[in-house]
Amino acid sequence: MGAWLVICLALPVAAAALSLLIGDRRASAWLTAAAASGAFAGALVAVFAYHASRGASAFGGSIRLDGLSGVFLLAVAFVYAVVAIYSVGYLLPGIGHVRLRRIYWPLLNLFGFALLATPVVNNLCVMWVAVELTTVVSALLVTSEGSDQSLEAGWKYIVMGSAGLAIGLLGIVLIYAAGIATLGDHYSPTFTTLVGAAPHLNRALVHVGFALALVGFGTKVGLVPMHAWLPDAHSEGPSPISAMLSGGLLAGALYAVLRLGAIAQGAVGASYVHVLLLVFGVASLVLAGFFALRQTNYKRLLAYSSIEHMGIISLGIGIGGPIAAYGAFLHVIVHAAGKSLAFFGSGGLLSRYRSREVDDVRGVMRAAPFTGVMVLLGALAIAGLPPFGIFRSELLIVTGGFSHSSFAIAGLLVLFANVAFVGLYTTFHRMVLSGEPPVEPVRRREQPLMGVAMLVSLAVLLVLGLWIPGPLDQLLHSAVGVIGGRS
Amino acid sequence: MQSVFAAGYTLLVGVDRASPALIVLAVWTALIKVIVIPVSIDRQITRQLSEHEVPLVVQVPMSLLLGTALAGLAYWSSSVLPIHGALLPTPALGMPIAFVLVGFFFMITRQNAVSQIVGLLTIENGVFFATVAIAPGLPFVIGFLLLLDLLPAVLFYGVFARLIAARTKSTSVQDMTVLRG
Repeated sequence: MGAWLVICLALPVAAAALSLLIGDRRASAWLTAAAASGAFAGALVAVFAYHASRGASAFGGSIRLDGLSGVFLLAVAFVYAVVAIYSVGYLLPGIGHVRLRRIYWPLLNLFGFALLATPVVNNLCVMWVAVELTTVVSALLVTSEGSDQSLEAGWKYIVMGSAGLAIGLLGIVLIYAAGIATLGDHYSPTFTTLVGAAPHLNRALVHVGFALALVGFGTKVGLVPMHAWLPDAHSEGPSPISAMLSGGLLAGALYAVLRLGAIAQGAVGASYVHVLLLVFGVASLVLAGFFALRQTNYKRLLAYSSIEHMGIISLGIGIGGPIAAYGAFLHVIVHAAGKSLAFFGSGGLLSRYRSREVDDVRGVMRAAPFTGVMVLLGALAIAGLPPFGIFRSELLIVTGGFSHSSFAIAGLLVLFANVAFVGLYTTFHRMVLSGEPPVEPVRRREQPLMGVAMLVSLAVLLVLGLWIPGPLDQLLHSAVGVIGGRS
Repeated sequence: MQSVFAAGYTLLVGVDRASPALIVLAVWTALIKVIVIPVSIDRQITRQLSEHEVPLVVQVPMSLLLGTALAGLAYWSSSVLPIHGALLPTPALGMPIAFVLVGFFFMITRQNAVSQIVGLLTIENGVFFATVAIAPGLPFVIGFLLLLDLLPAVLFYGVFARLIAARTKSTSVQDMTVLRG
């Protein structure tokens, strides 16, 4: 298993270095796509062929895969692969534009590497470094279109992200300090050690430490009220990067929260962790729902939908039963696929209409039927309509809520899932199906690679909506086991 | 100034525990935070403030008072926690938390990109202090990485601050109001 994980992590690094060295756009682009697909394949093998659900480590325990990391590794690797393929189709023929053309590909690969490393490292500090690396790299990518707005978004993102991560680090330091009494002064803060020693950790320190870590990493997850950077970064970055932020970066940060949560649970009991997650989850769900209703920019609308979905996942974990947690982990994967599809589609719209405003985009169905269908299906999928995977995962979370007597939470979830549905559906319906375009869109043929990336995402959404393969089912159950829910 | 203390304290703890790693870290901190970063920020300021004066939201006397109040809050809240530093007898977490709070206060009240960097550095100093004070086993891993992290951070901020200044002719973040809601 170790070898496959090494492949999975080494490919992006190699691709980053090579594409920086050769500097040729075409070669770098294809190299990136190949490396990302390879990394995804490596992740699949490492997770499924070696039964990550039972837990396995390599390199003296410095790298470790269990159910929880397996779920996030798959989601992240999937997004990285489809984003790389989409980027080739989007940027090479000049459909989308970035100003930092030379460093776009190396940065994309580094971003992929940092995201892939986050869930597999077995050390608190290294995980923090990986998350911090994602901030630095992705902030540059956000500004890569070079407009004034993208600079503003990048600035906001890097300032808020760094301040948040500093707080997260303070949380990690406190959790480390909580173990000094039992584990000695100089222990290595691996998850295995800390989870094992959890009942003997200093409770007061873990209380404060986890709260700080949740606020800190929660900033990167986009939980309300630390979400202010997110809509800007998602709307102003190039569309493939928006997809990567939404499906990959948010998930990676959420992974960090859940890992620390697993330690905190062992020390201070599950209810403390759950209550905190519920508070932030409800805030995100409610606020993002309202903001989604009044957006006039379709990429911002999708960004608010990301905040909402992160809220839903937090709720799923916070409710506390095995069914809801299972749903939440499934949600991580299907949300990655759904947001990729939606942002890829929005890239197609942006390149034709040259505007992010909903009012400027009309009659997509006539101008570009394929993109129109994809965008609409993407919007329906992330709005939680059957038969897509997101419907299934949300249904599981709601069912879990009811069976765990969290009626109010489950009710809120249903209510605000509908609010978001109204916001998403009415907007995308208007853009795709009705009216005459106020500005004549650019006519061009569909780019096959962009189409492939969208179709793959759609296929994942559909398949997981209808059927969950046995090994994935096992993996999701074991992820539930890691965070303490029995299943 | 703070960073001098941070480096000094690390050195003290290092000598006290006879840990060479901590002494290396102290020298490293001194080098980067006391020399490299202030110089680069100073350049930024002289380049920019000569042209523009950014108005303060909270005036200086008031902000001094509020800063003191925040520090008091930090000491009070940390005294509740059962942590004792390696060298400092009082609850060792008070000072770091005060740093973090004042750093945030600075970032919120100064509407200037350069001041926001300084605020952020203050927060990071606070976290650094906390690490050295309560978990000295950890710093060699983490402190090093934290510092390594700082340099690119400042470079990025330098780049960003300059780009923003070039575009909007001012480093005031109040002009960045396009993205809302």
